[in-house]
Amino acid sequence: MVALVTIVLLFLVALCSPAIVGTKPIVCNYKGNLYFPCLGYFNPKWENPIFIKDKFRGVYPRSLKQKDAESWAVWPLVYQDPYRRVKADEWHGVPSSREMLDNPVQNHGKPSAHNFFGTTPYGVDVFAGMVHGTRIAVLVGFVSMGIASFIGITIGALAGYFRGWIDVVLSRLIEVVMCIPTLVLILALISVIAEPTVWHLMAIIGVTSWTSIARLTRAEFLKLREMDYVAAARALGASHVRIIFIHVLRNALAPVLVPISFGVAAAILIESALSFLGFGAPPPNPSWGNLLHLGQDHILGKMWWLVLFPGLGIFLTVLCYNLVGEGLQEATDPRLRQAGK
Amino acid sequence: MTDRNGLGVAWCAIAIVALLSSGCSSQPPTTTTTTQATEVKQPTLQTFDPPPLEKLLADHQWIERPVVDSLKLRREFEKDKKPLVSVAEALAMKNDSDKANEKIVGTLGLLPKDDSAVDFDASIVRRLQQEPKSLNPILTSSMSETEINNLTAFGLFSFDWQLNPFASWDTVKSWKASDDNLVDIVVMRDDLTWSDGKPITAHDVVYSFQTIMDPNIDVPAQRSGTDKIRWVHAYDNHTVAFFHKEPLVTNVWNVNFAVIPKHVYEPHRRSDPKLERDLDIDKQVVGGAYGFASRTRGQELVLQRRESYYRHNGKQVRDKPYFQEIRFKIMPDPNTSMLELQRGGIAEAELSPGQWQEQTNDAGFYQHNTKVRGSEWTFFYFGWNFNTPYFSDLKVRQAMSYAFHHDEMLKVHCYGLFEPCTGIFHPESWMMASQPKRPPQKQDLDKAEDLLDAAGWEFDPSLGVRAKTIGGKKVPFKFTMLVRNSADRVAICELLKQNLQSIGVEVSIAALETATLQQRLQSKQFEANFGGWGTGADPDTSENIWGSNQERNWGGYSNPKVDQLFADGRKENDRQKRGAIYAEIDRLTYDDQVYTFLYYQPSLYAFSKDMRGYMFSPRGPFHYGPGFSAIWQAAQ
Repeated sequence: MVALVTIVLLFLVALCSPAIVGTKPIVCNYKGNLYFPCLGYFNPKWENPIFIKDKFRGVYPRSLKQKDAESWAVWPLVYQDPYRRVKADEWHGVPSSREMLDNPVQNHGKPSAHNFFGTTPYGVDVFAGMVHGTRIAVLVGFVSMGIASFIGITIGALAGYFRGWIDVVLSRLIEVVMCIPTLVLILALISVIAEPTVWHLMAIIGVTSWTSIARLTRAEFLKLREMDYVAAARALGASHVRIIFIHVLRNALAPVLVPISFGVAAAILIESALSFLGFGAPPPNPSWGNLLHLGQDHILGKMWWLVLFPGLGIFLTVLCYNLVGEGLQEATDPRLRQAGK
Repeated sequence: MTDRNGLGVAWCAIAIVALLSSGCSSQPPTTTTTTQATEVKQPTLQTFDPPPLEKLLADHQWIERPVVDSLKLRREFEKDKKPLVSVAEALAMKNDSDKANEKIVGTLGLLPKDDSAVDFDASIVRRLQQEPKSLNPILTSSMSETEINNLTAFGLFSFDWQLNPFASWDTVKSWKASDDNLVDIVVMRDDLTWSDGKPITAHDVVYSFQTIMDPNIDVPAQRSGTDKIRWVHAYDNHTVAFFHKEPLVTNVWNVNFAVIPKHVYEPHRRSDPKLERDLDIDKQVVGGAYGFASRTRGQELVLQRRESYYRHNGKQVRDKPYFQEIRFKIMPDPNTSMLELQRGGIAEAELSPGQWQEQTNDAGFYQHNTKVRGSEWTFFYFGWNFNTPYFSDLKVRQAMSYAFHHDEMLKVHCYGLFEPCTGIFHPESWMMASQPKRPPQKQDLDKAEDLLDAAGWEFDPSLGVRAKTIGGKKVPFKFTMLVRNSADRVAICELLKQNLQSIGVEVSIAALETATLQQRLQSKQFEANFGGWGTGADPDTSENIWGSNQERNWGGYSNPKVDQLFADGRKENDRQKRGAIYAEIDRLTYDDQVYTFLYYQPSLYAFSKDMRGYMFSPRGPFHYGPGFSAIWQAAQ
């Protein structure tokens, strides 16, 4: 239950990351119009071009007051940025400005009241990176497992429902894909793509990790297709598609959720591993694995905070997904349920 | 020039090698890609009938050229130098200021007073960045291979720490050039032997030249330079003549190539005409100070001092090399090398600025080591591809330079250790000696925006970036910056991205591994790149970077004036006038903003406390004469 709550929390953090940490106002009133510049963190296009046109130069607090004395803004909880080093003078000339310091650089960036989790050697706030990094973690988990479930369930359902030669071919396909070491395959595929983005990464993880889902779906279908209600549906003249998706799949889905939930955890781990190896999303990329990678480069410089916080983040997230997966397993497996009683 | 894009020594990297030091030398390719394609099929050498020696000697006035013992040169240079502090004091010092650095280098960097101070039985362990691809000196292409060839390969020529060329006293008896500068005659010493006991003769030099020029062999670096030689001829076992195609000043560099044993490679090439297979380690025959003892692939390569190098017929004829054994350990990861240093496991390593500033200040490091630095003529830049709609315009390139936050980079990313770069030639070099120092570039976003507006790249609210209408089509200002995938370099590109984003230019960063990066640059499939160049021994070697259609001119810069000046520079004998020519090239390339110049990277090195004799040249502590040959271990 705690795990589920944590995951929901993670979702909220990912969704609200620009409102938690950022240097762009959540809402601001500028020259009589309302804007939501913080959306720029999701997609640069959503940050209204007027701010580039009016030469804000990416620094809002100072520029807002300078260009429009009447303006007001609601700021994120923490004024830090996952992409750049925040400087003290960004609040200059703003009445009732907060106390700010230049972000420390190199190995001086220990965790402090300004930088909760410290800073990278280049002065970028690690806490901001972690919070914005949850977006990548959550996205990678869901998108790649979405793709994997789609492929896995389709192939498993076809193999289990039709049996015969289709089953033989698809089962062999599953076995072949299982034999390929995922990380090596992913590295090979990434090197083929000219400019890989995080979406490519998700797609690749997705198309390589559907096998366990397919196998479980197939097993469920083999069992369920012999049930009386399927025979009844068939007798009523229902089409294959209808039987597969309306009748059988709904009943097969509960146990299939287990490998999906484990898969999300695995996908997050793979993305971290790739970023750690330097093959992750293109820079600037505030993913947890990337921060870890920086940490490895500077471990001899005694920058422990670069390893500890992202490491903990990955550990907790993966643990939660695994716990949820286990919970699902218990809930769907009657034998375990009986043993529990 | 050395390419600093490639496989890195800790912080930075060298892929293609320009020149070696005491033993032999190679220079980067200068051939254009277009001619290279045809070159492969046609033999590059045209047979040439050299005149008889008597006639040749009688036909010309001859100018004696320097034959120098580089170690002796060093000794003379140090003759009047007093150590600034005692050795014990220098060893106890921390290198935390320019003064301290001067004291440490000025004391520990000296040669031994006499041989009793040297531990001649010493074995030194050095770090090698990556496994050498080939041990054949004429196939050298990476930094690791250079390090090895420096010690093992045989050559007739070298140059000192001020990059003055000379013939090496170790191998040459006399060297003279004809008055028209079209012929060089070198008389080799008669006490030279290969490691298998056979004598080294003029025929080996001729054979090496012909092998380098053999179009069937894929010679990565040495052919440039040698391709300007018409013919090499051996008049007898010791007399070799170099006939040049043109009377160039750079002929003194062109004759500087590695020599391989004819009696080994001639039979070998019958089964391997393209020299694709390396000889086994126990079949390697070398002419340098050290020979190959053993090799464990991926782990280590062991060299041993050759007695037949410094002794001949029972007499010592050359300086005894300072080390009994040199072990190269292959260590790609800088963290591993740092730990090995602290453990006392390796005797020297290049440091990244981060390592210099953060990891080498505690007692753990100073227990076994000390660190030293010196200025190096290596600079880093953002290169722009002129064949793109963006960077073909001078105003845009200028805007890029104005947009970048140079001070932030120098302070944060370069740890305040690096000087800002202001042009293609180093301000301390002889080419720039008489020039006023150019002020470093500063960030000025307003100016950058004005320049972009003036160039027609105006902000387009519907696209969210600047755009320009070219041929009726709206082109958004979005480009990709290529960079090697090391965190420190990527961070500098991220800074540029931030800066440009704030003025409405979108940059994506592609962090690539070395091989892919090289391939993308060479095929010119890029818009912008982050990279670096080390210096060649002569400014002429940089023609292949800035000359029109030259091999490493990836950005496609073309300025007929620059081409003409390079051609003039090769022919000008007066050094001062020559310097002015290269200073003019420097000015033209700067005015054209070929690159956004970023910083000069100095040499940062850690040495074990037992090591002595290191001195820095514009090419670092090892790559000149005597270079590594001057490093010695103090007797306990």
